[in-house]
Amino acid sequence: MGDYRFRWDIIPQNLDFLMTGLQQTLTISAITLCLAMLGGLVIALLDMSRFGLLRFVGVAIGEVVRNTPILVQLLWIYYVLPMALGINLDSWTALVIGLSIYSSAFIAEVYRAGIQAVPVGHREAAQVLGLSPMQSFSRIVLPQAIRLTLPPLAANFVQLIKYSSLGAVISVTEITRRGMELSASTFRPLEIFTFIAIVYFLICWPLAMSIRIWERRMSRR
Amino acid sequence: MKIDGNPISGAQLISADRLSKDFGTTRVLNEINVGVKEGEVVCVIGPSGSGKTTLLRCFALLEQPSDGAVLMENKVIGDASGSKAVRQAAKEVRSDIGMVFQHFNLWPHMTVLENIIEAPMRVRGVSRAVAVAEATTLLEKVGLSDKHDAYPVRLSGGQQQRVAIARALAMQPKVMLFDEATSALDPELKREVLIVMKALAAEGMTMLVVTHEMGFARNVGSRIVFMDQGEIVEEGAPAAFFDKPQTDRAKRFLRQFED
Repeated sequence: MGDYRFRWDIIPQNLDFLMTGLQQTLTISAITLCLAMLGGLVIALLDMSRFGLLRFVGVAIGEVVRNTPILVQLLWIYYVLPMALGINLDSWTALVIGLSIYSSAFIAEVYRAGIQAVPVGHREAAQVLGLSPMQSFSRIVLPQAIRLTLPPLAANFVQLIKYSSLGAVISVTEITRRGMELSASTFRPLEIFTFIAIVYFLICWPLAMSIRIWERRMSRR
Repeated sequence: MKIDGNPISGAQLISADRLSKDFGTTRVLNEINVGVKEGEVVCVIGPSGSGKTTLLRCFALLEQPSDGAVLMENKVIGDASGSKAVRQAAKEVRSDIGMVFQHFNLWPHMTVLENIIEAPMRVRGVSRAVAVAEATTLLEKVGLSDKHDAYPVRLSGGQQQRVAIARALAMQPKVMLFDEATSALDPELKREVLIVMKALAAEGMTMLVVTHEMGFARNVGSRIVFMDQGEIVEEGAPAAFFDKPQTDRAKRFLRQFED
């Protein structure tokens, strides 16, 4: 290691190449978050359904997704779906779908926790005053639940940014993949992957810190 | 049929007819018959676990009876069948029945004013201006005129409960149910809530009050209902009940309050 000669100029020379990867990373994370927020709602509604069958489906999806590795899920969607069901997805779509489903299962839990954190008494008060179940949900439960779910949702976004690096394995050209490509052509993994780690950190850390401050401020209210 | 302004004396406003309630295999209420006439203040007392709160929750339509019925102005509004007709009847009288909870249950994301005007605007369908005007009058009545824009967390327990009373009154109910409205409060805060309840009774509000406040029951109640183990053990005028309880169970219960 002593006589290793750093070639940090590799980074500025290939900055555009790496930044297109970063753009992909952030786009994929943002799209995935939006899809997962909807998917999470579907799973949460299934979980809390009055009908046993729907509840079973919701719980089953959640348990399977939460208890298998995300990497295996991505490989399965990319390599197995075409073989098993003849569904061919390009790698970008496979990544977005895979991450969305994975995140949905966790976000469903976030929603459920948020809704269940609203004391039953608040709903009973609404019921006694004559508000309909819909009014009670939209006016009393949801505004309180949203406030509780926003920080965990943001935390999920941080997770997504990091997990999107797994796209590299199925050759999605996000920043990690770009790094692998660049490293293969320049033989400079040390500089490149250090730089990429710093980029991830500089995006994720401020987000995580703001969430922490946000949560602290909320708990004081 | 509504009886407006001209109450038929002796008619029950709200009543339970052989009302029973089971939770699983436990019978919490056993064939309760009780009624509240217009203008009456009926105080329900008894040891904890005697079913008082469940009885009140049945009247508030928060629990469905396992047997028997809950009636409002002689119309069934709750029974074991939960049939469409009963549910419809319940919906119609829903806002005639106000309830005050032990733990206030104010909505923490809304200000005091918003808590009070929510149901009038959305259920009674009055305009915001009217709802605000009514709320202002009610807040004056409960002595909290200066708290319009405060959030519930900024209020003491006693203040929160007075807001909760104002919120219930905003629906202009015909009967008010109080579920141990002062039990969660410190002694000095109990007083301010009891004063409001007493004033309400003096105005002629029909009230069904589950309480541990024997002073209130004796001085404000028009009738005492003593419950134990899911049954009404004894019933009577306050003076008679407190001075000469007839049953052993009532005597034993009242002895706790002597000091």
